[in-house]
Amino acid sequence: MSIISKIKSVFHDDWCKNCHCEMEVTKKQLYMLPELVGNYISHQNKEYYKNNLIKVNKKSDIPTGYYACGITNYWCSKCSYKITKLTIFLPVRNEEKIEEIIVFKNGELDDFLK
Amino acid sequence: MNDKKIKKINFLYLIGYIVFPILICTLCYLLSAVYFPKGTMAVILIMVPTLLSILWWILGGSIIYKINKKKFERELEESGFERNHTFYGKGSTVTIDVKRGEIGLLFFWNPFEKFVIHASRISKAWVNDGKSGHGFMEGSMRVSFLFIVDDIKVRVDTFTSNQRFRMDSDYILTGISKADMMVEIINQARVSAHKNEK
Repeated sequence: MSIISKIKSVFHDDWCKNCHCEMEVTKKQLYMLPELVGNYISHQNKEYYKNNLIKVNKKSDIPTGYYACGITNYWCSKCSYKITKLTIFLPVRNEEKIEEIIVFKNGELDDFLK
Repeated sequence: MNDKKIKKINFLYLIGYIVFPILICTLCYLLSAVYFPKGTMAVILIMVPTLLSILWWILGGSIIYKINKKKFERELEESGFERNHTFYGKGSTVTIDVKRGEIGLLFFWNPFEKFVIHASRISKAWVNDGKSGHGFMEGSMRVSFLFIVDDIKVRVDTFTSNQRFRMDSDYILTGISKADMMVEIINQARVSAHKNEK
C-alpha cells in the first residue's frame, strides 16, 4: 500500500480509512432541505435529517433560496466499510455554494435511505 | 393599504437630520463666544453639542429606522397582513403577503411613512448581480433586487462591499440567491394581486 494512498484516504471522505482505497458509490439521491438562504443552521443530529429532508428528482425542483442536500452512500468492496456523505449546498442558478459536508460512519441514515 | 405614491426620501427629514445638529452646535458656539469665552461653561457649550451631533449622525437614523420598522411590523400583523417573506435591506424593508398580493415598504430616509401597496402596481422586478470587468477581473461589489412601483425604481441590496468579489464567491452567490428568491416572491404576489382584482 503506497504512502500516497494513505495520504489520499486522510483527505478524501470517499476513500476507505481501513484499506486506503477508493470506495464504491452504492446510492445517490438529492433532497431539499427546508432551510432558507441566510438562515442556515448546522445540524449534526441524524433525526433532523430524517424528519426534514424532502426527496426531489432534480435541482430545479428545489424552490429558489432553499438548500439542497445530496446524499451519497459509499461502500468499500474490500472490508465492507460503509459511510453516508451529506453535501449540503445552496443551488444558485448554475452554481452550487457548498455550505457543509457531514459524514455518518455508523449507518445512522440507513433506515431512512431504504 | 394605501394608494399614495411611494416616496423613498423625505427631504424635510433628510435635511433636518443633517442641518438640525449643525444649527444647535452653531447656537451653542455663539453662546459660548458671546457669554462664556472661557471656563467650564465654554467647554460644555463646545464639546457637548459637538459630541451629541456626531452621535446623532452615526446612530440617530438607525435608531429611528429600527423603532419604526418594529412599529410597522406590529401594525401589519394587527391588520392581518401575513408576512410570508421580509427582507431587511440597508436602506429599506420589504415585506410580502403573497396570498393577498400586498407588499409593505419602509425606507430609511422616510421612516415615518409606511407603505402597503398592491403588488399589481409593480410593473417589473429583476435582479442586478452587479457583474463588471473581464477575465480574471470579472466580479461584483453589489447584488440587489429591483422593482418599479408607479414608475419609481426601488433598489434593495442583498450584498454590498467595498471590494470586488468573484462571481462564484460565496458572498455573491448568497446575494444572488436572496435576490432571486425575493424577485420570485414579488412575482408570485403580483400574480395573486391580479387574480384578486378579477
